[in-house]
Amino acid sequence: MTENARRGVRVEADALTRRFGEHLALDGVSLTIAPGEAFGLLGANGAGKTTFIRCLTGYLLPSGGDVHVDGVSPARDPAAVRAKIGFVAETSRLYPELRVKGFLRFAAGARGLAGRAREEAVARVLEQFALGDVATRMVGHLSKGFQQRVSLAQAFVHDPELVIVDEPTGGLDPVQQDEVRSLLRSLRGERTLLLCTHDLAEARQLTERAAVLARGRLVAVGATHELLAGDPLAMFRAGAAA
Amino acid sequence: MIAFRALVKKELATLFTSPLAYLALTLVMLVTALIFFDHLRIYNQILFLYASNTMGGFESDTIPDHINVRDSVFFPVLETLGITLIALIPVITMRVFAEERARGTDELLLTLRLSPTQIVVAKFAVTYGFVILMMAGSFVYPAMATVEGGVGAEHLLAVFVGLSLHAIGLASIGLVCSAFSSSQLVAAVASWAVGFVLWDFAWADAFVSDSVGHVLDLISMHPRYGSFAEGIVNVEHFAYFVGLAWLCGALARFSFDWRRVAG
Repeated sequence: MTENARRGVRVEADALTRRFGEHLALDGVSLTIAPGEAFGLLGANGAGKTTFIRCLTGYLLPSGGDVHVDGVSPARDPAAVRAKIGFVAETSRLYPELRVKGFLRFAAGARGLAGRAREEAVARVLEQFALGDVATRMVGHLSKGFQQRVSLAQAFVHDPELVIVDEPTGGLDPVQQDEVRSLLRSLRGERTLLLCTHDLAEARQLTERAAVLARGRLVAVGATHELLAGDPLAMFRAGAAA
Repeated sequence: MIAFRALVKKELATLFTSPLAYLALTLVMLVTALIFFDHLRIYNQILFLYASNTMGGFESDTIPDHINVRDSVFFPVLETLGITLIALIPVITMRVFAEERARGTDELLLTLRLSPTQIVVAKFAVTYGFVILMMAGSFVYPAMATVEGGVGAEHLLAVFVGLSLHAIGLASIGLVCSAFSSSQLVAAVASWAVGFVLWDFAWADAFVSDSVGHVLDLISMHPRYGSFAEGIVNVEHFAYFVGLAWLCGALARFSFDWRRVAG
């Protein structure tokens, strides 16, 4: 991998808008995430964070504006953008009937890795996310904390330049939350990280800069510690009241 | 190709780790056995009646030509099996896309760099393979008719092709219903409805004009399936099932684009 790729990719949203019928989920959101930056997207439930991510991964088409990953629009060339990203969904969206190693082999194969390269990638993430002891167990038989690790492992199996993590600790107990946060902290700086969360402590621990969304609109953006120094809940509430 | 192969392997693993696959295989074999032995029982009863003294017995040449294994067992079994598959195949197809949507793993699949076309082709291919396996299992009893039924190997092959095409046609309908739904139940009920409606429009002949009746006949499954059952491999009928599979595949592919827009 090149030095440039190691530093991650640039993400630029330009007046990104997304409607679901009459409901405006994203309203002209413009923001930039620098290569290698750990960026937090904050907001209450329903603020538009997941919709932003879905536009970024190409899962949804924007109704207006656009978002670019290193200058490439996922709406126009989703395959090129998806090659650069690793995605960890809000809840562990996995195949409970598959074994951990089998699932990671599938994730690597689906990203074009085969033969020795695939086996090496799987072995690397099994070690990186401490999944060696459960490699032959069914995903559905694991605890939520381990399932989230599997979810993170599949996102990192192809060494992506941009990692998107949506509510990574939702539904986990405090110990599991701490484990997942430690893992994410250890991975900062090697690539661009976009973390979506409504957990302010998590954002403070894991991100350098952050943006606050409320009712689909961008209400604040800046260094995370400055943004959260005052009364961040007021921003959430202001959006909700608007 | 690597990604496609990985997806096919995953689909096979998902299918065969599910009890539903084994349940469906067992069910189709049991149902076929029941249908077969029921028709065989009726055939034997008819033979017994003709063989009894009051009806002349076997030696008196009074058994009509149409009372034979082929017409009394083989064809009726295939006819009943054709309708039974309309009910059975959605049990397999209902989960294929709908389960991914309900779990949210469709989003994972797409972010894994798999294109919608790859996903649709892989899921259709694995399902087709499975229903052909089901047909092979269910074909054991009708195939026994070859022993003493005057049904030759070529005829039997044509019947198997017809049965498989019919199953593939029904699977295609089931898959497209699953592609447009997040609920397995809705997908199954929709598949049953479309399957039964498309099965045969002969009932409508009395109510519609000749031209409409002709169009309805063109889209009916039964005349095509019936033709194969009689041992006739007709290119037009073959094209009907291929066309149906292609149309359903295209619609399933469209469901991905539709969801990108509609959400």
